[in-house]
Amino acid sequence: MKLSKYTIYSTPTCHYCHLLKDWLKENHVAFEEKDVASDVEARQEMVAKSHQLGVPVSIVQLDDSGTMREEIVIGFDQMRLGQLLDIG
Amino acid sequence: MEEKFDVIIVGAGAAGLTAALYAARRQLSTVVFGKDLGGQTSTTMDIENYPGIDFSTGPALMNNFADQAKKFGAQIKLVGIADIKKRGEQDFWVKAEDGSEYGAKTIILAFGKHHRALDVSGEKEFRNKGVVYCATCDAPLFSDKTVAVVGGGSAAFDAVLLLTKIAKKIYLVHRRDTFRAEEILVKRAQANDKVELVLNATVQKIIGNSFVTGLVIQTPMGEQTLNVDGVFVEIGSVVGSEFIRELVQLNAAGEIVIDHVNQTTTPGVFAAGDATTVPFKQTVISAGEGAKAALAAYNYIQGLSADTQSADQGYIK
Repeated sequence: MKLSKYTIYSTPTCHYCHLLKDWLKENHVAFEEKDVASDVEARQEMVAKSHQLGVPVSIVQLDDSGTMREEIVIGFDQMRLGQLLDIG
Repeated sequence: MEEKFDVIIVGAGAAGLTAALYAARRQLSTVVFGKDLGGQTSTTMDIENYPGIDFSTGPALMNNFADQAKKFGAQIKLVGIADIKKRGEQDFWVKAEDGSEYGAKTIILAFGKHHRALDVSGEKEFRNKGVVYCATCDAPLFSDKTVAVVGGGSAAFDAVLLLTKIAKKIYLVHRRDTFRAEEILVKRAQANDKVELVLNATVQKIIGNSFVTGLVIQTPMGEQTLNVDGVFVEIGSVVGSEFIRELVQLNAAGEIVIDHVNQTTTPGVFAAGDATTVPFKQTVISAGEGAKAALAAYNYIQGLSADTQSADQGYIK
């Protein structure tokens, strides 16, 4: 299983978003960031995908030997993300 | 193999990070465990009362605290602590929430407080669906919306003032008609046209469909529903000290009982900041308390009495 795309929905003032991003950088995980404070379209997208309004939201697209799978993680859930990304 | 430290600090807020700075500068091997970095200070948007810092956001100030502690050798691990037990003289066993285990000569408890829940119907159901506990995190999602902030302390007014820059209308719902908040914050809120104070009102329930649509309150005029898209809960905080109930003495509010040099009732266990009985929950006070706890822990490791004054105390270059 390997990571094909990592997207974060965040706000500039969200402390947990910064922690999450720092943690991803430390572990050399590339990600795309969408600011839901200024980008209304991204906000609607996040609500549609996660059915909630809290940030951060991670959309983790994984390539499971050719089969694509999408995991949605709400908050900075280090343990769950660690498992998904195989980071100890 | 179990990793051993001179000091294990539980909590990475103002108290814990300052304790780490002081312990590391005393050349004690030091690790800080925290579920998140910065504690409650990090959920405050505008810090204007930390001496020497004219203005900072909470997260920026706490990042500086963390960087400074790391500069002198302290480690910071973003994981909570599940259990602590005394094994012997200057020997504690610590288990983290990820299952890893550590040994320590001394412990500094500085895990602060976390938000208090309203405990009304709809609160859990609509959590992150309009019910917000971290205004600085989630306020931007409520641009041009109508929201309610529940509470009467400085945190509630901090949230109200932040929301005046974002939301269309803000109700401040408070169960009394007086406020614990700093007067300067109350005045700023009262002067803002977007803010409506709803006083002597208790929250009955939070209603909605997929997301919050309203807040039902009881007022002297009877029951009333405020049509809101968001409910910001800012009614104070509680100490999550259950996991150390066996280790140290707590007061009725769950706060850790300490003496003037931050010693708990268990030798070798020190405590600092909002999790303790020290009055006035403020970043600057927590920082000072953290420094005291670290110096007392240093004395304890040296076999000295906790309040021993070193000639160089507080000034090591």
